[in-house]
Amino acid sequence: MSTQVYSFLLFKSLYQPAATFETLSKANPSPFAILFRYSIWLLVLPPLFAFIGASNFGWRLGADEPLVLARESLILVSLGYFWVLVVGLLTTAIISEWMADTYGADAPFGRHLALITIVGEPLAIASAAHLYPSVFVNILVIIPSLIWAMYLLYKGIPIALDIPPERGMLMASSLVGWLLVAAVSLLGLSMMLWTLGVGPLLGV
Amino acid sequence: MSEESTNIYHDKVVIRLIQFSIIWALAAMAAGVYLSAELIWPTIDLGQFWLSFGRLRPLHTNGIVFGFGVSALMATAFYSVQRTSHVQLFAPKLAWICCYAWQLIVLTGGLSLLAGLNTSKEYAELEWPWDIAITIIWVCFAIVFFGTIATRKIKQIYISNWFYGALIIVIAMLHIVNNLALPVSMTKSYSLYAGAQDAVVQWWYGHNAVGFLLTGGFLGMMYYFLPKQAERPIWSYRLSVVAFWAFTYSYIWAGPHHLHYNAIPEWVQSLGMVMSVILLAPSWATMINGIMTVSTAWEKLKTDPALKFIVLSLAFYGLATFEGPMMAFPSVNVVSHFTDWTIGHVHSGALGWNAMITYGTFYFLVPRLVGADLYSVRLANMHFWMALAGTMLYIMAMWGAGVSQGLLWLSVDEIGELSFGFRDIMASMAPFYGLRLIAGLIFLGGTALMAFNLFMTVRGREVVKVKIPAVDPAYGVAS
Repeated sequence: MSTQVYSFLLFKSLYQPAATFETLSKANPSPFAILFRYSIWLLVLPPLFAFIGASNFGWRLGADEPLVLARESLILVSLGYFWVLVVGLLTTAIISEWMADTYGADAPFGRHLALITIVGEPLAIASAAHLYPSVFVNILVIIPSLIWAMYLLYKGIPIALDIPPERGMLMASSLVGWLLVAAVSLLGLSMMLWTLGVGPLLGV
Repeated sequence: MSEESTNIYHDKVVIRLIQFSIIWALAAMAAGVYLSAELIWPTIDLGQFWLSFGRLRPLHTNGIVFGFGVSALMATAFYSVQRTSHVQLFAPKLAWICCYAWQLIVLTGGLSLLAGLNTSKEYAELEWPWDIAITIIWVCFAIVFFGTIATRKIKQIYISNWFYGALIIVIAMLHIVNNLALPVSMTKSYSLYAGAQDAVVQWWYGHNAVGFLLTGGFLGMMYYFLPKQAERPIWSYRLSVVAFWAFTYSYIWAGPHHLHYNAIPEWVQSLGMVMSVILLAPSWATMINGIMTVSTAWEKLKTDPALKFIVLSLAFYGLATFEGPMMAFPSVNVVSHFTDWTIGHVHSGALGWNAMITYGTFYFLVPRLVGADLYSVRLANMHFWMALAGTMLYIMAMWGAGVSQGLLWLSVDEIGELSFGFRDIMASMAPFYGLRLIAGLIFLGGTALMAFNLFMTVRGREVVKVKIPAVDPAYGVAS
C-alpha cells in the first residue's frame, strides 16, 4: 500500500471527487502529514476571513447598524473559532474511525482524516463569505456548499473506506448525526461565551 | 363466528387511520406553509379573521400533532399490538369508533380554532367540549390497546407496547390535569389554575406532550418497525427497557425549562434544567440502539426505500434530543428563548424525526397491508431527498434568524441602552422567512409525492387478510 498522498489531493477533489476517493482508498497517509500539509491550511481560512470581514465591516445581522466587536475581543473570538475547527476536525476523524468498525471498514486514521478534510473543503472555501459579514449572505453561500459537502461525505465514505455503498450510506448518516450535534454545540457554546462576556456586548 | 373472523388481524382500521393521517399531514403542513408566507407578507390574510396568524397557527400545530401524529400512532399501535400479542384487536368496533370519532374531533376542533375559540394554552387550545370528547375517545383507545395486551397469547410484552402504553397513560393524565377548567358557556371556560401555577402546569403538559406523544409514542413505532424492516432483533433489548424507564422517569420533570427567567421559583427552573440534561442519556441510548440495529442490515437498503427515512430520522432524533437539553441551559436560553431558534428546534424534531419515521413506516406498511409492491420506488427516493433538503433548509434558516434575533435583542451600547429596536429587528427577518417558506414548500411537496405514491399503491386493492400465526409454546402465556 502506498504511503504517499497524492500531492494535489485537495485540488483534484474539487473537480474529480470520485477519482480522488479512489486514490485515497489505496493510500495509507500519515495523519501528521495530512493535518499539517493540508487540513490546517483549510482550517485557518474561516477564522481569517471572519477576522478580516468583521474588523473592517462589522457583522450585519439584519438590522441597519452592523455589530462591531472590539479588536481584542475579535482576536479572541477568531482564535476560539480556529481552535474549535481543529478540535472539530480531529474529533470527527476519530469518531469516523471509531464508527467504521461497526460498518466493516478498517482504514487507518490518516485516511479518515484525509476523507474528513476533503469533505469539509467546500465549507472552508465557502467561508470566504465571511469577508462580507452578513448572516443571511453567509447562510445563502453555506447552504449549497453544505449540500456539496454532504454529497462528498455520502460519495466518499464507501469508496475511500472500501465498503459497500449501502453500508457507506448508513455510516455517512451516522456521521451526519454527529455533525449536526457538533454544529448545534458550536451555536450553544458561542451563546454561553457571549453570556459570559466574550464577544458582543450583551445586556444580560 | 366463522373461523376466519376470529383468526385474522384487524388491519382495515389501520389503513383507514393511515389515510386520515396523510390527509391531516397535507392540510396542516399546507397551513404551516401559508403561515410562513404570512410572516413575510402579512396582508395575505386578506382581512379575514380566520386566515389570520393567530387562528391559523393553532390549526397548524393541532393538525400536525393530533391529526397527523395521533392518527399515525393509533394506526401503528393497532397494527403492532396485534402482531406482538398474537391476537385480534380487543373490541374492534371500539377501534373503529376511535378512528372516526378522533377525525371528527380534529376536524371540528380545527374549525373551532378558526372561529376564534381558544383557551390560550399552547398545544391545548381546544375548548372544554372538545377536551371532554378527547378524553372519552382516549379512554376508548386505552381499552382497545390494553384490552389487546390483556388477552395476549405471548407471555412477554414487547418494548414497543411499553412505549405506546406510556403514551396512552401519560397523555391522559396530562390532558385531564392541564385542561381542568370552569366552563362559563359552551364555548368559553377559565382554567382552574392562575398565574405562575398555570404556567407551570401548562408547560408540564406542553413539554410532556412532546415527551410522551412526539417522542415516546414515536419510539414505540421505531421499536416495532425498525427491527421489522431490518429483519434483525433490537441490538440490545435490555438497553431498550432501561432506556424506557429512565426516559419515563426523567421526562416528566423537564417542563420548567420553558419558563427560564420567568416568575416561577428559581429552584424549579434549575430542577427543570438538570432533568433536561439527564434526559439526554435515555434519549441517546435509544438512538444508539436504533442505529446499531440497522447497522448490520445494510443489504436491505438496496431494495427498501423506507429504511432510509428511518435511518435519517434517527440522526435528527439525535440532533433534537441534544439541542433540547442544551437550550435548557440558562446561559444559552437567555439568548435563544423567544427567538426563531426554538421554532427551528421544534421542526428538527417534527420534520426530521416524527415525519421521517412516520413516512418510513408508511412506505413499509401500506404496500404490505394491500399485498402489493410500492407504486414507485423512484418517487419514494425523490421524496427522501426532498424531505432531507426541506428539513436542513428549515433548520439552517431558523438557526440564522434565531441567533440574529437573540444577539440583536440583547445588544447594548456603551451606556447600556438597547442598540436595536424590536420592530426593526423583526422587519429584517424577511429573507430568513423566505428561506423557511421554500423549505416548507419542498417538504410539503415531498409529502404530496408520498400521498400520490401510496394512493396509487392502494388503489383498487383490498386489505390482505393476515392469519394469526400459531404461538410457539416457549413464548406463550401459560393457560
